[in-house]
This record gives sequence, C-alpha cells and structure tokens, in this order.
Amino acid sequence: MTQTRNSATAAELSTDALLTAVKAFLMDNAAPNLEGRHRFNARVAANVLGIIQRERTIGPTLQALDEDALHRWLPESESKEPVQELSRALADGRITPDDTFFDYLKARQLLVSAINNPRYASRAIAEERWGV
Amino acid sequence: MRPEELIAALDEALPALLTDKVSGAAVTSLERLSGGANNETWRLVWGETPLILRRRPFSADSVADLEGNILGLSLVDEAQVIRLASSTDVPVPEIHAVFDERHPIGEAFLMGFIDGESIPQRWLADAQFEGARNKLAYQCGEALARIHTIDCSNLPASIGPTTLQRRFDAAQHRLHAFGDVSPALQFGLNWLIEHAPEDTPHVLLHGDFRTGNLLIDKHGLAGVLDWELTHQGPPAEDLGYLCAYVWRFGQLDKPVGGFGHYADLIKGYESVAGWCPDLASIRYWEVFAALSWGLVCQTMGALWHSGEGDVERAAVARRRSEAELDMLLLIDDWERP
Repeated sequence: MTQTRNSATAAELSTDALLTAVKAFLMDNAAPNLEGRHRFNARVAANVLGIIQRERTIGPTLQALDEDALHRWLPESESKEPVQELSRALADGRITPDDTFFDYLKARQLLVSAINNPRYASRAIAEERWGV
Repeated sequence: MRPEELIAALDEALPALLTDKVSGAAVTSLERLSGGANNETWRLVWGETPLILRRRPFSADSVADLEGNILGLSLVDEAQVIRLASSTDVPVPEIHAVFDERHPIGEAFLMGFIDGESIPQRWLADAQFEGARNKLAYQCGEALARIHTIDCSNLPASIGPTTLQRRFDAAQHRLHAFGDVSPALQFGLNWLIEHAPEDTPHVLLHGDFRTGNLLIDKHGLAGVLDWELTHQGPPAEDLGYLCAYVWRFGQLDKPVGGFGHYADLIKGYESVAGWCPDLASIRYWEVFAALSWGLVCQTMGALWHSGEGDVERAAVARRRSEAELDMLLLIDDWERP
C-alpha cells in the first residue's frame, strides 16, 4: 500500500540543514550556558560548521579550478593532489609564475577565503580588484 | 596546575623574593587571564598589589627554527630581555621574580601590573582613547627605535644572530613539512627571496610588536607586552610587522596597526634613531609578516593533529587563508605601476 506522506515528514533533512541545526544549538543554547573557555570554544565550533557548509558549496568549484591549473602548468603530471603538486613545482622551479599564474592564485584565493573567512577585511578589496 | 596548587607554591616562594619590593604576605586572589597560545597569564594580588604571572605549562627552549615558530623563547630568557628593555625608555613591566622549569611553580616569571587597556577591539574603537590613538603611531616609532638600540651582546644565548637566507630556508622547510598545501604561501616565499633586500646590520627586534601586544591608556602607549618572539633582524622588520594587514583589525586604511599612518611611525622612529627604514622596506616586511602568520596558522593545525589543543587551534589553521590573501594583495600592490 502506498501512502502519501505529508510534506513535513517527507522532507529529507539535508546535510546543510543538519549543520545549521547544530550551529544554532551551539550558538543559542550551548554558548550561553557555558563559561569562559568553553563558551568561547562553542562559538568557535559554530563558526567551524559554517566553514564546512561553505566548503560543501564552494569546494567543487575550487577543486575544478585547481585541476585545470594542474593540466595547464604541469600537463605531464598525473598527480591526484593538484594543490600540492603545484606548490612543489613552484618550490623547485618547474613552474615560473607569470601573470596568468598569478591570476589563477588570485582566483583560487577568493574561493578559499570565501570558504574560511568571508568577512575578513582585505577580502573586500580583493573581491573588488580581482572578482569577476 | 590547579589554581589552589599554584597559590600554595606562590605563597611558599614569594615572601623571600618580594621582601623590600612588594608588601604583603600571601596571594589574596588569583585569576587566569585569556590569551597566549603557549603561556598562561595569571593575574594575582599579593597583599594589595596586583601582579602578573606568566607561566609555561610545558618546556621549550629555543627560537632556532624561527619562521612560524610559536613557541618562542623560554620565559627565563624572555624575562631577561624585558629587563634589558627596561633600561631604555620603552614602557615594560618590572620583573620581580623568575622561575625555571625545575621550580614547583614551573617555568614562569612574575612582573608588575601596568594599568591600561589591552584589548584592541576596545581601545581601537572607544572614544575615550581617541587622543591616545592619535599619538600612538609616533610613540610606536619611538619605542621600536629604542628597542633597536639594545646591545645585542647582552642577549641570552638563545637569541643568536641569523641571516635572511636562514629565515627563507626555515620557511621553505616548514612549507614542505606541512605538506605543500599552500601555493599562495610558496609563491609569496619565492617573491620574498627574489625581492630580498641586502642583509643590513641586525638589531634586537621585539618580534611580535603588534596592536594586540600593546597596552594603552589615555596618554597612549603604556606598555609593550609579550616579548617571547624577540630575535635579531633588520630594523624594518619590526616596523613592517606592526603594519601587517592581519594586525590592522579591519582598519585597512590605517596601515599602522589599524590606528595610525606610516608618516607618523617613521617620524617617531627618526626622532630617536636619527634615521628610519624607507617605506619600501617596511612594506617588504609586511609581506614577510603575512608569510609568518600563515606558517603560524599551519603550526596550530599541526599541533592540533598531534593532540595538542582544542577546537580553537583547529579553527586557527584555516585562518591561513587570510595570510595567503594578504600576501597576494600586497604583492599585487607592489607590482602595480
């Protein structure tokens, strides 16, 4: 027998919704009922959940950008870790960064900081200068 | 160490050490202040006199591997540097007693309490500090010039001479050790090496002279705190560090620590030293400061991985992206026509 669930029970709670729920608990319930270091860390923990939420949204774009960069500047590489491979190539001189490489770093940094700390003051300048 | 154990150890040790200096016979209150990645800071009252105890819960002895090192000097050496600084006109607390790691108190030093505001978010914003803020960049220039006159031949052995090349090597070593996860920091290190200034004669640097380590009262600079990252280097380094983006607390239009302007900092420095590093070299060290902060963030993450520290330390690891962004912005500024 098929039953029609009403919308309230049918909705699968997404990971994002779960993270939002835990974040609200940390900020609104846990932090006010804790003291000192624990209170501070409850807020930090809520912010960390925010990082995870943003990484889930922005991460794939960042990953695609890094993979493109690997193919562009190290076409022979079969590394599964584009970021590390590009860093090592900068360190050992296999990549001599030009303006285009600098542009890639700027574009990736806008994404990385959008994940980790979108409210960081110099991000607004960077966004205005380098954003698309 | 539990507070009651610490009080017992202080009550045992201090009477002999504080005779003739501070009246009192016992600790009448003890409270842990926040702050410090490595060291505990306690405010205590001896008789009726407030004092500050800096205490390290574990042992560490050297800044040999300088870049991104967050351990800094031993507290015994830090106390010695503060005593040297007190022979200049730099406002520092008086050191009353020093304990090594074998003492029941642990590695620690006890110093005078300087009245003033230490929380930047307060003194950067509050109207009552406006007069103080207006003279602070000049005063910071004066203070740094004075610190830079301290005779390096009197320093503890742990604060040895270094070279820019060794600093670069240490930074590269750390980037590799952390798994080469930051092309931006690697790009920045390459840029710093390419644009390295001539190695000028080194002086004693405070090494962590930033907005968060200043104590402010209505007259301006009341105290210079946290000397644990003291090292030898070129004078421009301390000036650039104070102006690093990350220490401007969002006030990017006030390059000196989020409260002042380059011209005043330079004038203050010149008034004591008779010269000042030029703006370009100050800005070079702003880029370097971004790299150092990025490495500190990485170190925090590594410490968390090794089981040291709580969620804050894990979260700070992600603040590396601030340093990376600043580094790219500063280099972008530098390269612009």
